[in-house]
Amino acid sequence: MDRHIIHINVADFAVAVERRLDHRLHNRPVVIAPEGAARATVYDMSEEAYQAGIRKGMALRGAMRLCRDLAILPPQPARYEQAMHALLHQALPYSPLIEPGEQDGHLFVDVTGTSRLFGPPVDVAWRLRRQARKELALDPIWALAANKLVAKVASRLVKPQGEYIVAAGDEKDFLAPLPVELIPGIEAPDLARLRELNLNRVHQVTTLDTAHLAVVFNNRATFIQKVLRGQDNAPVCPIGQQPPRVVLDHTFGTDTHSPDAMTAIIYALVEKAGHSLRSQGRVTRRISITADYSDGRRSIRQIGIEPPTANDWVLFPLARRVLNLAVTRRTRVRHLRLICDRLVFPPAQLPLFEAERKTFFHQQALVAAVDGIRERFGWQAVGTCAR
Amino acid sequence: MIPLTVRSHYSLMWGTASIRDLCRTARQLGYERLALTDTDNLYGMWPFLDACRQEGLTPIIGAEVTDPHRRCRAICLVADNAGYAGLCRLLTQRHMDHAFDLAVCLPAHAKGLIVLTSDAGLLERWHRAGVCVAAAMPRSPLAPIHPLRQKARALNIPLTATPGSFFLTPSDHCLHRLLRAIALNTTLERLPAEQTAPANAWLADPQVYAERFAACPEALAHTESLAECITFNGPQFGLVMPPWQDREGESASAVLRRAAYDGARQRYGHGLPEPVVDRLEHELRIIDQMHFSAYFLIVRDIVRRSPRTCGRGSGAASLVAYSLGITNVCPVKHNLYFGRFLNPGRKDPPDIDVDFAWDERDAVLHSVLDQFGEQAAMVSSHILFQPRMAVRETAKVFGLTDAEIGRITERLPWFWRVQDGDGNFLADLKNRPETRALDFIHPWPEILRLAQQVIGTPRYLSAHPGGVVITPGPIQAYAPVQRSVKGVPIIQWEKDAAETAGLVKIDLLGNRSLAVIRDAIANVHANGVHFDETHWEPEEDLPTQESLAQGRTMGCFYIESPATRLLQQKSGVGDFEHLVIHSSIIRPAANEFIQEYIRRLQGGAWDPIHPLLADVLDETYGIMVYQEDVSRAAMALAGFDDAEADGLRKVMSKKDRAHRLQDYRRRFTEGARRKGVTDAQIEAVWAMMMSFSGYSFCKPHSASYARVSFQAAYLKVHFPAAFMAAVISNQGGFYSTFAYVSEARRLGVTITPPDVRHSQVRWTADQKNIRVGLMAVKGLATDTAQRIIDQRPNGLFGTPDDFFNRVRPDAAEARALIQCGALDGMAPALSRAQLLWALAQWQAKRPPVRDALPLFSDVQPLAPPELPHDDPRERLRREFRVLGFLCDRHPMVLFRDDAQRAGAIPAAALGRQVGRRIRFAGWLITGKVVHTKRGDPMEFLTFEDDTGIVETTFFPEAYDRFCHLLDRGLPYLLGGKVEQNWGAATLTVSMVRPL
Repeated sequence: MDRHIIHINVADFAVAVERRLDHRLHNRPVVIAPEGAARATVYDMSEEAYQAGIRKGMALRGAMRLCRDLAILPPQPARYEQAMHALLHQALPYSPLIEPGEQDGHLFVDVTGTSRLFGPPVDVAWRLRRQARKELALDPIWALAANKLVAKVASRLVKPQGEYIVAAGDEKDFLAPLPVELIPGIEAPDLARLRELNLNRVHQVTTLDTAHLAVVFNNRATFIQKVLRGQDNAPVCPIGQQPPRVVLDHTFGTDTHSPDAMTAIIYALVEKAGHSLRSQGRVTRRISITADYSDGRRSIRQIGIEPPTANDWVLFPLARRVLNLAVTRRTRVRHLRLICDRLVFPPAQLPLFEAERKTFFHQQALVAAVDGIRERFGWQAVGTCAR
Repeated sequence: MIPLTVRSHYSLMWGTASIRDLCRTARQLGYERLALTDTDNLYGMWPFLDACRQEGLTPIIGAEVTDPHRRCRAICLVADNAGYAGLCRLLTQRHMDHAFDLAVCLPAHAKGLIVLTSDAGLLERWHRAGVCVAAAMPRSPLAPIHPLRQKARALNIPLTATPGSFFLTPSDHCLHRLLRAIALNTTLERLPAEQTAPANAWLADPQVYAERFAACPEALAHTESLAECITFNGPQFGLVMPPWQDREGESASAVLRRAAYDGARQRYGHGLPEPVVDRLEHELRIIDQMHFSAYFLIVRDIVRRSPRTCGRGSGAASLVAYSLGITNVCPVKHNLYFGRFLNPGRKDPPDIDVDFAWDERDAVLHSVLDQFGEQAAMVSSHILFQPRMAVRETAKVFGLTDAEIGRITERLPWFWRVQDGDGNFLADLKNRPETRALDFIHPWPEILRLAQQVIGTPRYLSAHPGGVVITPGPIQAYAPVQRSVKGVPIIQWEKDAAETAGLVKIDLLGNRSLAVIRDAIANVHANGVHFDETHWEPEEDLPTQESLAQGRTMGCFYIESPATRLLQQKSGVGDFEHLVIHSSIIRPAANEFIQEYIRRLQGGAWDPIHPLLADVLDETYGIMVYQEDVSRAAMALAGFDDAEADGLRKVMSKKDRAHRLQDYRRRFTEGARRKGVTDAQIEAVWAMMMSFSGYSFCKPHSASYARVSFQAAYLKVHFPAAFMAAVISNQGGFYSTFAYVSEARRLGVTITPPDVRHSQVRWTADQKNIRVGLMAVKGLATDTAQRIIDQRPNGLFGTPDDFFNRVRPDAAEARALIQCGALDGMAPALSRAQLLWALAQWQAKRPPVRDALPLFSDVQPLAPPELPHDDPRERLRREFRVLGFLCDRHPMVLFRDDAQRAGAIPAAALGRQVGRRIRFAGWLITGKVVHTKRGDPMEFLTFEDDTGIVETTFFPEAYDRFCHLLDRGLPYLLGGKVEQNWGAATLTVSMVRPL
């Protein structure tokens, strides 16, 4: 049976959300970036700003030089999350299979076999867009195709506005004349190799046989051929199917290399992670820290936790150990991410020895008390002093 | 109280204080005697002795000697001459002997040394070995039951107070920590405490020390009495000459006389002219009188090791040197003045500088070092933190990334020195137009504040570019010797200190142009043309003179810079005598004199500033051109004696000249007034002298170089392809390969692209073609290139696969070769994309397959697929990326349409547009920033298109507006007015736009 996948894409999502709130931002270059930080980078930008040469990840000061009348807004993740949630909420009635992106205004809706309920997929797509415009004041692009890949290419093609329908079976012809860099799955190294071989358009690659392509791309050749022919069986993954884990991030406004500053941040993250774990009634068996340096290099270190725990007092020394493993260079650090995964339900086994058991209960009581206070009076009501 | 453990910034990356500041502070604190005990070295001994003399302090020489393998150290103070030699030997051993053990080695060298240690074990051991040793209590008094005090008491050894210092004031501690963090490659926060000096290790005043040691007054008293027994205040060597021994036992002066006459006969024929004989006799007499005979003979022996050398510097004025083959310009014919090199009044040792082809120099140097063994070493260079290095290293301590640091340091002008600014780094930087586009956000203000204080601190030692010292006995009796990173033995002093010490050095330097001339002649020979060098007189060749007069000298030694080429054009003369003047007059501060010189040269009327100067400056149109003109003018006009005049000349080239010049100026003014010179004339002459500051040549030096310039110019005129190939192969010229390739093309030479079947590693040439060498392929390793050459005798490379199999390049190398077209000739049927595909196939096949043997052994390799054709523009772009130039055309040809649309004229048409405003599209090839009299920066940039070169001027206003736009190796559209000066047309730019 042919599948029908709708790809909803709100172009420049963060800007679109902001524009919804402030009409003065329409028709002028806007970038989202944490202004005030010593060295901010562009998080998202409007089409006008894109035309002026501004790109994601560019230094804000460079962007300001490129474009004089730039409106700069600070990132508001909560706002985007809310808008994303609203978008998702609208689509929920049409299908159980909806895959949202991470606060980026992307949504795949699998409407295969729902036409007797909601009418043809095209109508559903129109309806979704209309609703978004009316109720959310967002104007998404949409594309309809037989798989996620083609739907995504189609919506890329019409960006920043419009819609595109690729009939089932037309995938190959649709993709053939397009430049290869439009196809998701073709990564930068692939692109470089294709360019070297003067292969710039999809049809130039698809006419080669796989054996020839395999000479350059080895095992990846089949994948590339498949992708460029528009074959994609990947299912639309509904929300909530990833293994549970707790991820917390901190970006330093000004990059730092001070061990104290980083330990303080890790402590705050551990507190939040612990709280989140406890509210889920789970404990973690592994803690890892990702450190992103100023120069873009990244280092990830992790250690296992035995017995698994959700107690801040146990987690913190471990986190500090991981931090010391992760941050070893003398370059400044821009971003820290703390991940607690391999979540399990708390073990019933208590510590065997008296002394350990005592500490265990003490720590647990302390954490419970802090949680209790925070629940009642807010997160800031109680805190931990630096030692 | 006398501070006996004081470290300056020569305790590398530990101490912070410069010698001068240290001595000044010590005097201000009320000390009368001061010891300098840097860690494992005597780097700062001569500056210290000098500074002590100036401040009226009594110096104590010493060093802290550490053990590289154990945690023990000793302060060694020199009590007498024997102690000095012992300390030098000990320090040499410390640096040269890998198994150095301080406890064992020290006693052997301890005669004449006073040794301070705070290790009870060593105290006893050395005391028993007969060393004059004292117990040292650093920082604060030790408890009476401390093992050191007990041991001292038991052995009846004096107890001394030796609070060590690493910096001058408490606030310098942060600077010290910065240096430690730089040295340990870490950040300030992570700096381990045991790797830094305590926060109280500053040079306190005597009162503070007295209070600190109040509990132990006998230690203070012992310290005083210990210092009293030190009588040594610096070594006295006199002039130290290299030794020379004749096998037959003949004296050096007799051998020199015979050798000089033999050589002169070879140069001038058998009947020596009378002036030559007179001059030889005069020189030989003075050489003998000053005991320089051995020195000349040694230099002769060294020069003989290479067939092509160029003796330069003031030594080129010597007829003896010319006769011995050390120099190549006849001092009689060119009127070179011997007195400047050697005269009986001269106290400082003169030296002879010799250039060797750059790639032969190291071999010569090593043969000299091998021959003299322990008696020879190179002079060292103390590498100090320069502004750029200081900023970079400090920023790294603050955890900034290379990219962030580069953004700032790339914009620092290359000539930038601390003294250019007014003392505040940040404010100074912010005011510069180059850094306008930059933000100095936190932590940059802090970084710059600290970096400013680090500037001038020594970082490490390296070998001087060519200075070799040879001594009669082992050199370590004179100075401590250590090994440079490259493994060459070096003395611990840099050249000025070595000169103060009286060590006569020989400079053996590398010179690319000698190799260029050598290779060009080899290319000529390879093409079957006979070229006889023995009777080669390039100075007399008219076409060469003609081309010099037109400034067509790109690629020619020493006269290829835009400024010199313009000067040649403006002067319109190309003979040897004028070239000697020109290579000397081109100096940063001499612009107005150059203008005046050209005016006079072109027939403008002139009078000498003062009749007294008429004789002195006649030959150079009344303008001071050579270094010695300064001393000669001072003698003629102000009645300076030889030594005084020579002193003035030397001060001009020193870095700290400003202060010392004032005194000379006063004496000059007084002397000249006495001779009835008016104040205006004095002012004019002094101004002309000042144009020499920091940069000047003597006539013999210029003449030696002009000779090499002439040889190069001759080869360029008569064998352009052979010459340009040699210029590019030897690299390191004033211009990029790109610019030389364009120049070759303008000379009518065809550039044949690199080809793996024909190219050599170096660039080669026949009559009208240059074949690009494999060295031009960016990313191609030297040994891969050599493998390509080595594989050729085994048969022509038939297919790409055959080539890959035999040469086995790595992927990046093969890619570079394909993209620059070096494989095109081998497989003309394949496009470059197909070649890259073939490379991928070869790579895929190469590693052994995991499933062992293939099932079918006769698996045929696939034929390359049909791939889209190479896009011509893209192909050129890749070629340019690999080679840095295009073989078949100038890249500006690709922009011709854009340029025409913008109304640009070609470079060749510039001369016909004088006085008009025009537009020109060109490629930036080189540039130079200078400062106007008012201190504003401006820039001279050289652009070219396929028709020629255009010299442009960016006056301060234009520089201010456009400097941040300009980058090397890119096309620009320029607008401005064509100006002419003595026949040379230049463009004064008022508009720039990237094309």
